[in-house]
Amino acid sequence: MPRRNDLKKILVLGSGPIVIGQACEFDYSGTQAVKALRREGYEVVLVNSNPATIMTDPDVADRTYVEPITARSVAGIIERERPDALLPNMGGQTALNCAVALAQEGVLERYGVEVIGCDIDSIETGEDRALFAQAMGQIGLATAESGIGTTVEECEAVAARLGYPVVLRPAFTLGGAGGGVAHNAEELRAIAAEGLSLSPEGQVLVEQSLLGWKEIEMEVMRDSAGNGIVVCSIENLDPMGVHTGDSIAVAPCQTLNDYELQRLRDASLAVLDRVGVACGGSNVQFAVNPEDGRVVVIEMNPRVSRSSALASKATGFPIAKFAALLAVGYTLDEVLNDVTGATPACFEPSIDYCVVKAPRFAFEKFKGASDVLTTRMKAVGEVMAIGTTFEEALQKALRSLEQGHQGLDALGAGLSDDELADRVAQPTPERVFYLEEALERGWGVARVAELSSVDPWFLSRMEDIARAKQRIAELGLGGLDRGLLLAAKQLGFSDEQIARLTGQRADTVRALRQVLGVTPVVKHVDTCAGEFEARTNYSYLTYRAGGESERRPAERPRVMILAAGPNRIGQGIEFDYCCCHAARTLHELGFETVMVNCNPETVSTDYDTSDRLYFSPLTFEDVMDVADAERPQGVVVTLGGQTPINLARRLSEAGLTVLGTSVDAIDLTEDRERFAGLLDELGVEYPASAVASTVDEALAAARTVGYPLLVRPSYVLGGRGMAIVYGPDELAAYLDEATAVSRGHAVYLDAFLEDSVELDVDAVCDGEDVYVGAVLEHIEECGIHSGDSACCYPPFSLSGALLERVRDITRTLALAAGVVGPMNLQLAVKDERVLVIEMNPRASRTVPFSSKASGVPLASVAARVIAGEKLRDMGLPDERREPGHYAVKESVMPWSRFPGATVVLGPEMRSTGEVMGLGATFPQAFAKTREEISYATPTSGVVPISVCDRDKRAIGPVALLLRAMGYELAATPGTAKALRAAGIEVTELRRVRDGSPNCVDLLRSGEAAFLINTPHGGAARGDGEKIRSEAVARGVDLVSTMSGATALVQALATRGASEPVALQDLA
Amino acid sequence: MNPLAAPAGNQPAPALLALENGRCFFGRSCGALGEAFGEAVFNTSMIGYQEVVTDPSYAGQVVALTYPQVGNYGMNARDGQAPHPALEALVVGDLCRTPSHWQSDEALGDYLAREGVVAIEGVDTRALTLCLREEGAMRAAVSTEDLDPESLVERVRASRPIGERDLVAQVSRGQPRTIPARGAARRRVVAVDCGEKAGIMECLAAAGVECELVPWDTPATSILARDPDGVFFSNGPGDPAAIPQVTACARELLGQVPLFGICLGNQVLATAAGASIEKLAFGHHGGNEPVMNLLTGRTEVTAQNHNYGPVFSSLGPLVPELSGGVAEHPGDLRVWSERRIAPVVMNPQVGRVRLTHVNLNDGTPEGLQFLDARAFSLQYHPEARPGPTDARYAFDAFVRLMDGDPEYLEQGRA
Repeated sequence: MPRRNDLKKILVLGSGPIVIGQACEFDYSGTQAVKALRREGYEVVLVNSNPATIMTDPDVADRTYVEPITARSVAGIIERERPDALLPNMGGQTALNCAVALAQEGVLERYGVEVIGCDIDSIETGEDRALFAQAMGQIGLATAESGIGTTVEECEAVAARLGYPVVLRPAFTLGGAGGGVAHNAEELRAIAAEGLSLSPEGQVLVEQSLLGWKEIEMEVMRDSAGNGIVVCSIENLDPMGVHTGDSIAVAPCQTLNDYELQRLRDASLAVLDRVGVACGGSNVQFAVNPEDGRVVVIEMNPRVSRSSALASKATGFPIAKFAALLAVGYTLDEVLNDVTGATPACFEPSIDYCVVKAPRFAFEKFKGASDVLTTRMKAVGEVMAIGTTFEEALQKALRSLEQGHQGLDALGAGLSDDELADRVAQPTPERVFYLEEALERGWGVARVAELSSVDPWFLSRMEDIARAKQRIAELGLGGLDRGLLLAAKQLGFSDEQIARLTGQRADTVRALRQVLGVTPVVKHVDTCAGEFEARTNYSYLTYRAGGESERRPAERPRVMILAAGPNRIGQGIEFDYCCCHAARTLHELGFETVMVNCNPETVSTDYDTSDRLYFSPLTFEDVMDVADAERPQGVVVTLGGQTPINLARRLSEAGLTVLGTSVDAIDLTEDRERFAGLLDELGVEYPASAVASTVDEALAAARTVGYPLLVRPSYVLGGRGMAIVYGPDELAAYLDEATAVSRGHAVYLDAFLEDSVELDVDAVCDGEDVYVGAVLEHIEECGIHSGDSACCYPPFSLSGALLERVRDITRTLALAAGVVGPMNLQLAVKDERVLVIEMNPRASRTVPFSSKASGVPLASVAARVIAGEKLRDMGLPDERREPGHYAVKESVMPWSRFPGATVVLGPEMRSTGEVMGLGATFPQAFAKTREEISYATPTSGVVPISVCDRDKRAIGPVALLLRAMGYELAATPGTAKALRAAGIEVTELRRVRDGSPNCVDLLRSGEAAFLINTPHGGAARGDGEKIRSEAVARGVDLVSTMSGATALVQALATRGASEPVALQDLA
Repeated sequence: MNPLAAPAGNQPAPALLALENGRCFFGRSCGALGEAFGEAVFNTSMIGYQEVVTDPSYAGQVVALTYPQVGNYGMNARDGQAPHPALEALVVGDLCRTPSHWQSDEALGDYLAREGVVAIEGVDTRALTLCLREEGAMRAAVSTEDLDPESLVERVRASRPIGERDLVAQVSRGQPRTIPARGAARRRVVAVDCGEKAGIMECLAAAGVECELVPWDTPATSILARDPDGVFFSNGPGDPAAIPQVTACARELLGQVPLFGICLGNQVLATAAGASIEKLAFGHHGGNEPVMNLLTGRTEVTAQNHNYGPVFSSLGPLVPELSGGVAEHPGDLRVWSERRIAPVVMNPQVGRVRLTHVNLNDGTPEGLQFLDARAFSLQYHPEARPGPTDARYAFDAFVRLMDGDPEYLEQGRA
């Protein structure tokens, strides 16, 4: 069927903030969908609360609402925009849930909005475990034996019937949130209780455990004529029991034969038919018994997913784009395969390489949480690598993670065999490295397979790697002739690994490779294993005998853009946004852009984004190999976060031209002493600080600088290991721990500017002029990591004169440091003094937000400057203009994923994502962010308050306002005393350790509207921690800073007063 | 297997792949020692190497697999398509010596060595594929004996082209044998064995057909003497022009009994009706070819393995009233799939012939229906093996044809 002409305007829902289990893969799919629909001539209205996305750039959709993805909010937008259709299957579970709610509340019917791409019934069949099991039974497919529980007791009864271990899965939750494996009744009670509270339907499925079975995912597409194709099969290296998002995954499927795989294909298509997926992309997950081939259907998702993004990148087949076209009437045979430009999309991609995905974790940020992997996803990002063999792809993937591994390194040399056996048996982020250690110890594939349930095929390949390591070490570098060096590279060994095995330097290995002619070749990802000519430039580097490269000559000068690698806390989608902007801008300026990245979730790794895409690790070796193949005029390192910045010096020394800000200027701002010297020279103020290498030195320095202190190891990533200490005892305790964090490194001690206001400045400098794009005022005070703090554009509490000083300082510093490109400055304002905390000569996390809030695309401006254009020629709006609206960015914390971890904001960043609220006033904008994070803030109920001594004065006015709005107040003894003294009526709660009634009881009762709890130092930790953890577990909104509490109360006072705002209507 | 992972004292023998156009690929032996000459083709199925290696249609060919790692799940007792492999040589990127699968009996390399099949690994199979894509299928050799590129290329150029070899006689089995239906036999069929795949027989059996396989050169009279409900023409290797006896047999049978042909069988029926045959540049070998059933408008993802195919327009002039009013043969058959029309030509020998299936990648004909002679044939492999099972309905269609159902082909995947 051809394009539907009865539809004119289509509403697309995004997936909201980045959270674990729902990340920027939905920006990739949504952006593709929006672009495809607009190319077809439809008017597209987009709702997504996440400002860091490419899809919310004002020129992607026709009408862009950075607004809550809730039924209430979207209903308002529907009323305003009157779309003909709603496309909900691009925005993950968030969008599907919103569509279901809109249908249930009658909104879609009222406004005559048709759901396209999926239907509400099929969503329910796919998601409701009981309905799904029943439907599968009807088409003769086995599901795990199971039962539904709506209470903990019912869950226990089902488990007793099935026998332990059992798997628990709450219905309708993201990425398996709240699920887990219970080995006994005690574990079951804990997981079931949590699952029941997280499931919107209050249902938990208790299932027979399939631990040890193979886990296979099929990415399927179907059109309205009933044509179905399997785009990709993906096999998890980790067997059942580990969430697929947490597992190392391999495409195509490696260990099933054709008979078995075709059976899964038939079953997948039957599942889509039965569930009633009208058209679009879905994924179906299976468990396959490795001993007899028995198949059990695990689940299906009637929408694009993280796996479909991976499948698209793995094959070159753009699932989301085609799904959007199918939703508006096309059939698969009518859609052209972009890559060949000559054949239809109605085929199944064949790939002639192996793809390995590896998850990236952040357990080090969540002290107290267990790092055992379960059915509940905990990874914060992922990498993908392409190689000719599994071995090559695996080693490339592991070095892409940027976690200190140069490939499949063994881990645990110091462990006893018993200890190692435990690590081999238990799935953790590091398990793959322990498996290698066991294989290197000669345990043999059979024993390791027995312990780990990892398929012997994978283990045999890893054993091959172990064997090769031994031979390389025996032969030494001199013993490796051309053939053997090539063989090593074909197994995926990095130069660093070979250097380590042979006791040489990586540079020497590289030099030897070049002498012997052992260099990688360029191969294309073309969906068809070479059968047809590829028209896109989606490439990877690999080692194959014969050295035949498919690199195409370039017509225009090339610029290489280094992107940000795997998402991690502190470096994620924001930098991908910047790189995508750079790709487009530099292309417009006449360059051929060469994107280098290894993150399959991103828009930057869409082959449509740049002229040439290299899926490659972002290590020195891999980047140089791309550069050797492409010979670019220069490389952009300032838009992809810290990853490319860290490579800049070596790339420059190797002869690559680093565009924009010079390597020396980067060094100047990163070297504390040099930077302090610059600030002194310019007369710019900064907090007192000191460096110390021993405890005595630190205590002495602390006396000079003065408490409180912000302390951190000298070598840190994303605020890791940072803390605020209020006295010598805390400092000593910190140093005890910190030595473990950074052995051999010094510790920095900075004066902590208590009660100061922190600012973020995003600017661009062209070497002559500086444009200050946005000054952002943080809501939380100094000491909360800037990535975790809420912030507001424009500043709501600072004078014009002070802002002028901020801009002056920015200008002075940018010019003095020699920035040519983007920069970010972090400042503290205390008593009208402006102090510089940090300067980064690169694009910051806040660039997308600043761009959207201010209407100036700062990443594009920066790219133009890097390409040599001048700011004064760009016609940028006046820095001092009054925008006429407020935009608030709020961070989204992953507490509920890490039970047991400390639940409090601090100097170490732990948020995964952000939302933006737009309003006529600051409180209105802030109020929207609460709804966007889906914190239910009831309009009545009890507000438990517990604040530290420092905040006891400031809590009075907040409490008074809450009373005036009709909330009841409850407080812990100290806070209650302060409130009573101010004449405010309050119920006193006991301290948790003193028994009931206490704050935890109140939270459990469900009467708490939200919680105000500000922590201080060590003493109150025990109680506060219990209270905050309880709030997280119950989904009760939690404010842990005084400034946050003030903002929330202001926001509550504006309830219902704010209208949705389209970005296109700003300015 | 990577040389660094192999025991130091037990390195595989070197091997050489040489092509007619002078290109050579050095690699390592991973099957039998020796040398073999044939036509180089590539297969894009990512798995299913056991079915490929044992498929009799590959007789005379040097088969390269585009997926680089081969042999992961070993060889089993169930999935072989013939008792012995018929291909000349196998070319892979990396052959697995340590397979893992509950059904695996033997590693692929051991099987090849045992069966005397020369094989080479360590080849850049993608470079080879691009070469064949650009220049077409060509003669080639794999040798572990002659490692001199110049010499081997010369000998490839002197080797016999595939069209001149009696490949069908080589793979067809000498003695008739009967394969019972699964369950009660609904129909009895004689199958002309030009290199039959076990998968086809299994699918016929599953559709309730009892099959008597007869050698490829069995005359029509002998077939009719068996009084079958229908006759099946199997797949097989090479050029249909090499087997005029089979075409003559088909010509005699057309109109007398219901007929069904697959792959070479499709070419046999088309040739019997006077169609000309063309050789495709590099053929279709894989499991992902999109084919539309023009009668239903549904697209099937199909398994294919052929270098030759009939030219639809050569079967006769279009019958406009049965072809959406079109009187002139279009240059590209995909006109029909776009318009969802199954055109009909008037054939001077067999009457009306309908084009039922079209390849959406390149517009080649994939299915013919002889409206006045109770026969149909498919160029692709509905049994798959390896590959997707979308077209399995073809076997039921054959039964329905024998039952007298005029709409026997108008169904798709359930």
